[in-house]
Amino acid sequence: MITRDDILKIAKLSKLSIEDEEIEALTKDMAEIIQFADTINTAVEDENMEFDNISNIINAFHEDEVIESFDSDLILKNRDGGEDGYFLVKRRSVN
Amino acid sequence: MVTSKIRYINNLLNKKEISCTELTNKYLEKIQEENKNLNAYVKVTEEEALIVAKKVDEKISSKGHLMPLEGIPMTLKDNISTKNIETTCCSKILKGYVPIYDATVWETLKSQNAVLLGKSNMDEFAMGSSCETSCFGGALNPHNLKHVAGGSSGGVSSAVGGNIAVYGLGSDTGGSIRQPASFCGLVGLKPTYGAVSRYGLIAYASSFDQIGPIAHTVEDAAIIHDTISLYDKKDATSCANKGIMTADKLNDSIKGKKIGIAKEYFEGIRDDVKESILQAIKIYEDLGAEIIYFELPELKYSLSVYYILACAEASSNLGRYDGIRYGYKASHYNDLNEMICKTRSEGFGKEVKRRILLGTYVLSAGYYDAYYKKAQKLRGTLVRAFKNAFTKCDVILAPTVPMTAFELNFTSIDPVETYLTDICTVPVNIAGLPAVSIPCGFDSNGLPIGMQIIGNSFEEHKILNIAYQYEKQVGDKIYKNIELGVKL
Repeated sequence: MITRDDILKIAKLSKLSIEDEEIEALTKDMAEIIQFADTINTAVEDENMEFDNISNIINAFHEDEVIESFDSDLILKNRDGGEDGYFLVKRRSVN
Repeated sequence: MVTSKIRYINNLLNKKEISCTELTNKYLEKIQEENKNLNAYVKVTEEEALIVAKKVDEKISSKGHLMPLEGIPMTLKDNISTKNIETTCCSKILKGYVPIYDATVWETLKSQNAVLLGKSNMDEFAMGSSCETSCFGGALNPHNLKHVAGGSSGGVSSAVGGNIAVYGLGSDTGGSIRQPASFCGLVGLKPTYGAVSRYGLIAYASSFDQIGPIAHTVEDAAIIHDTISLYDKKDATSCANKGIMTADKLNDSIKGKKIGIAKEYFEGIRDDVKESILQAIKIYEDLGAEIIYFELPELKYSLSVYYILACAEASSNLGRYDGIRYGYKASHYNDLNEMICKTRSEGFGKEVKRRILLGTYVLSAGYYDAYYKKAQKLRGTLVRAFKNAFTKCDVILAPTVPMTAFELNFTSIDPVETYLTDICTVPVNIAGLPAVSIPCGFDSNGLPIGMQIIGNSFEEHKILNIAYQYEKQVGDKIYKNIELGVKL
């Protein structure tokens, strides 16, 4: 059974913070979803049970050629233009 | 006889019975009127649409013959990247994001002078069955505004059904093209995985996602499919579709074609939906098709397999939203980690967070083998079960959804109950198969019922041929004329 602590642990792994008032409802929902997902564990496994390639698709690789890339100023436009050609981030705190 | 709306408009334009600018203006005016109710569009691209319309008119004046989709007003789901046009996936976390490149499907349509009317509403990151997880609120069903348009491509089905777009492109990860098409009485095609380039489609679950059309008729869907189904070197899973075009095969006889019915698809579906499909089976028998009954017991695992694998992929794909490079960014934080956590927690909606958490859970140490690995193995079992089924029949006929369009707010009550409504659509995505949903009747409230025709990989020509022959036989009665939008 999934617990409140499990939810907090996976939230941390997911880089999500969960408000105190959300935890109870979320734990209940997740417990129900996981119980439903458990249907797969009623399937009997046999040796031949392996993942098969869907549609027999083979990756369509192309030559590793240098092609024109996007202009960095254009990319930075989605973050207010950045600074000196870089994205700005706050220094990571050292504990 | 059902007339292709795309061919009809193409003909009007070529014969100069209407100019493309007049046509586009008609659609833009109706969007202004109807979108207040339908909420189908989240962004209207009036300026871009009129520039292309003018170009098309110049081509007509210089006696150029129009390609099938040239000058046809259409919409794109808001997870398909459009250069210089905001693309949000209907999530707060991507508000303000303006792509610097076009998705390949849009590049292709743009090169044919398709007239983009706007970006349409969807469930946030395509995660939902009602369009109600959109940060803009849900799109409504043109057949009855107290019901949802379906999801996740609900904006496309609402716009096309409400006659404020001729057709649209959506994406289908677990039924997101077929289900809204079914709810709005339209034709929705989910192509084979790899048949249409995913380059520029904002990822939800990459091994399931596929772009396809929602349109008024089977022929319309075939025309759009034949235009966008191209090999693209920018998508490593893109396959040349082996040169199979579908539109010129619609009229092939289906005498002797084997239509498979798997009994599991009919368990737990509403009686009126079942009845409509049984009537369709009779029509196919009259057309000379052979009906083959069999069992597909592996289907019982498909919903769990889908939700485990799709959420696992989503938890990884959505890791990129960190507030550093684009989209929403939290305002108050002390360090990098807090900025990322706050950005994601404030930017993602409830359903998206739930699926990220589930995906992280099934991939975490101690649970990986029991969930993710087991689900991958069962995916293989389902792929093989379908391959085996297609040794007995040409196509499989099934309901698209066990019911008709939900009333508003149905999906917010119980997540598991909502997931169960995807029971008929997800197997196709698990196995990477093509399927088309086509209307086959109405419930007692006048809401459309849909059925889906599922084919083997890269056999879109077979499913569209079989859908077209049904449409030709039953005629207009499966389509309802909606008193909304543009009348031509």
